[in-house]
Amino acid sequence: MDETWGLTQMTKVEVVANGDDVAAVTGLFTEVGARGFTAVSNVSGLGHSGQHQGRLLFNDRSSLTYLTVVLPPERAGVLLDGLRELLSDRSGVMLVSDTWVSRPEYFR
Amino acid sequence: MNSKKPVTARVRLLAQVDEAARVVAPLWPLSTCIAVNPLWDLRQMPFHEAVAYAGRVLGIAGYPPPALFAQAYVERRITAADLRAVLDEGHAQEGPAHKSIERCDSRGPELQRGSTAAERHDRLFGTRIAEAVDWEVAKWCAAYLAGIVPDEPAKGFYAAWRQIVVYDPAARSIVGRAGRKLLAELGADAEEAILTCLDLLDVPETNRVPELARHLARMPGWAGHAKWRSRWAAPEHPGPALHLLDYLAVRLSYEAAFLKSAERGRRLPKGHPLRGGSEARGCSTEEEGRAGGGTRRAGVATVGLPDDVATRLSCLDGAESARVWLAAYENHYRDWLLDALDRQQATREVQPAAQAVFCIDARSERLRRHLEAVGPYETFGFAGFFALPIRYRGFGSADAVDLCPVLIRPSTEIAERPPGESHSAADRQLAGRQVVAGARSAFDAARKGAMSQFLLAEAGGFVAGPIALAKTLAPSRYQAARRFVHRVLAPPAATVIDADPAPGALSDEEQTLFAEAALTTMGLTRSFAPVVLLCGHGSTTENNPYASSLDCGACGGNRGGPSARAAAAILNRRAVRRRLAERSIVVPDGTLFVAGEHDTATDTVTVLDTHLVPRSHRDVVAALQRALERAGAAAAAERRSCLPGGEANGRKGLPRERTADWAQVRPEWGLARNAAFIVAPRGLTAGVDLAGRCFLHSYDPRVDPDGVALETILTAPMVVAHWINAQYYFSTVDPAILSAGDKTAHNIVAGVGVVQGAGGDLRVGLPLQSLFDGERAYHEPMRLLVVVQAPLVLLEAVIARNPVLRELFDGQWVNLTAREDPSDDWKIRRRDGTWVRWIPAASHSKEAAVRG
Repeated sequence: MDETWGLTQMTKVEVVANGDDVAAVTGLFTEVGARGFTAVSNVSGLGHSGQHQGRLLFNDRSSLTYLTVVLPPERAGVLLDGLRELLSDRSGVMLVSDTWVSRPEYFR
Repeated sequence: MNSKKPVTARVRLLAQVDEAARVVAPLWPLSTCIAVNPLWDLRQMPFHEAVAYAGRVLGIAGYPPPALFAQAYVERRITAADLRAVLDEGHAQEGPAHKSIERCDSRGPELQRGSTAAERHDRLFGTRIAEAVDWEVAKWCAAYLAGIVPDEPAKGFYAAWRQIVVYDPAARSIVGRAGRKLLAELGADAEEAILTCLDLLDVPETNRVPELARHLARMPGWAGHAKWRSRWAAPEHPGPALHLLDYLAVRLSYEAAFLKSAERGRRLPKGHPLRGGSEARGCSTEEEGRAGGGTRRAGVATVGLPDDVATRLSCLDGAESARVWLAAYENHYRDWLLDALDRQQATREVQPAAQAVFCIDARSERLRRHLEAVGPYETFGFAGFFALPIRYRGFGSADAVDLCPVLIRPSTEIAERPPGESHSAADRQLAGRQVVAGARSAFDAARKGAMSQFLLAEAGGFVAGPIALAKTLAPSRYQAARRFVHRVLAPPAATVIDADPAPGALSDEEQTLFAEAALTTMGLTRSFAPVVLLCGHGSTTENNPYASSLDCGACGGNRGGPSARAAAAILNRRAVRRRLAERSIVVPDGTLFVAGEHDTATDTVTVLDTHLVPRSHRDVVAALQRALERAGAAAAAERRSCLPGGEANGRKGLPRERTADWAQVRPEWGLARNAAFIVAPRGLTAGVDLAGRCFLHSYDPRVDPDGVALETILTAPMVVAHWINAQYYFSTVDPAILSAGDKTAHNIVAGVGVVQGAGGDLRVGLPLQSLFDGERAYHEPMRLLVVVQAPLVLLEAVIARNPVLRELFDGQWVNLTAREDPSDDWKIRRRDGTWVRWIPAASHSKEAAVRG
């Protein structure tokens, strides 16, 4: 990362969770003080528990939702702790990576 | 005490609460009773392991009682051949334990069962603290939801309770000075309070999920309500919000305070409210018996069981034996059903005078069968919201209702309005309704007021007494008189459903998508009749807190008429038909969609919006109405013979009399005895008397080459049917915990549920009168049998890409049978995904005998 770009390092947490579990995941985001997040419902894919169809016409609870949130690194650890606990006995994926943002005040 | 807990602890707590809450099912309010599988969030486990787990945590029985099986054997509802067939196949059906179960079992028996600190204390010292906690928590939940507790909405139940509980004499007498001090010192925040109490109660981090789960399991009704509010209700849902965190905070605060009090007093004095009997209560014998999911019940005592079967059954433990009996019970019905379908004669195809689309609800089956018998009518089955997830606002109504399955959110709001420009008739009706509503509101206010109720009794008794007498002695005449008065005060006025595209409403394209989905999924894409009736359903009953449980589940526990009207309005729009034609669905100009509503309590069908029927179609519609009257009468007569007292009680036994009777605890059987969900063209089932036991979803694989329609049917209507079936199953096998109990002792609490008697937990499930005829179960508790006629490759592909279907089929929550087409043999899907040819149990025994 070129320091002249004037970006600030943050941590990005991406979660793919069952529709039933979205409220619990976003509840954790709120608890750690996330200022916002993005959710894409009805995503499809293949994972440890097999294939997942995308959009189901009349069932929002049984399809997957992709959620992403960006946090200061010191708060991301707390979120990961909760997500690990939440996803320990149910299907779901958590991806963590460094990211850079231009307006850090939006994420603190 | 008020030191702030680190955010890490709070975040972990949220995750732990969510995990713990899997053991209870959401409980919808009475206004929109939704049937739900009480173990839905345990569906990742196979059925047999989930009921065993729930037996440990909730204390439920997971299988029908041995007496039911014994009776079924005596009545040849289960035969020795059925048992032999299951025993022969038995172990082939077993698969490896589910991964989540292995994890669960690795936690050890104490963690699996879990117990609250109060329960542990009770076991040690013979106190009854856990019961006292339940009673107090239930009391405050009810008071909070009834609006008796001063509430600051943003702060929630725990904060409101904390403000007032220190003045509660009951709390003061039970928790004593030390407990009160502790209550006063607990933080104002629910999460903080839970964490503080868990620390005070010495619950280690590793034990928190089972401890919290047990807290929720002690009162599945209130916990279920909190779960509904936290996880299912729309955030804007009106009324006091009782959330899971608040609920647990109150429970744990009580436990901590009670135990503090008990600790201070060491041994409680004789006569203290918390003092138990002379023996430690512990886990009662009954609870121990339920610990394996009711599988430690005594074996099935039958007379005349052949030696070979008796010997083999005697080698099984309680769980295995119950599984064999249940499978035999289910397979006997499956054999009957498949045999009946195979024997069905091909129906002669005639051009129908009209087509009628009914809800998949099992109660439509009788009406459909009789309608087809009285004239050239073709019927279809489709979910009663007609693929249109809407929020509906009736004309002049302040509240809107969600008319769609709870698995989805409404995509738009649709309103009812007067037709055209002239609103005078509608305005007159609205004014009359306001008068009636105002009078009712004043009466209710006077009835509930502390002093006014006495004045009301004095002043209104002269009127109320004769009314009560009329309602009792001549219910249908009273109802007719009431309707007449209502018509005079608020004369009927024609209205329409506003389906025209507008900002915020469904666009032409969106309407077309819904229309296409509906027509394709039910297989009605060509050969349209001049009139197509879309028939929703509802049930008219008196004095019935569970009335909405008899309405349409696909419409979120509401009446389905408005959905049918909205769908008909959309399908009659030229812009929609033009777009449908571009998608190869050509609806002729001469075809008219009309809406109707089937009252399942009386089997009458009302055709709605008749003012919109053009002259060209009036004769056909009138003929259809006459046919529906005849079919409804025949269906009602058939149903009457099944209702307790239906034949013997003369006029009072008639369905139309029962529906008006305010003392009638069983206006209809609802969905009792539901057994199967059939996904196939009507040709498979037409003419077969299915006795109102099957959900019938029309499906034509020829118009669904990629399986999208089949996927929609299995992931939504079938899931809803499974919920209904599972609710009936569990309410019947464990009425003590999972039924709503006796209707005659119900007290409604704040419109959210009922309690039995003066207080305690909200009851979950269905009332006893919906399940039992006296002591005998009327409902036959079986897991849903799904019967599909579709290419197996397509079916497997749909299952493979949908985890919810893998869980339900592989986990044996539902049983699946299918065949490619009418020339194919029926096949049974096993839990490992393999298919075996269906062999009826009787033939199976013969083959086994030949094999030696």
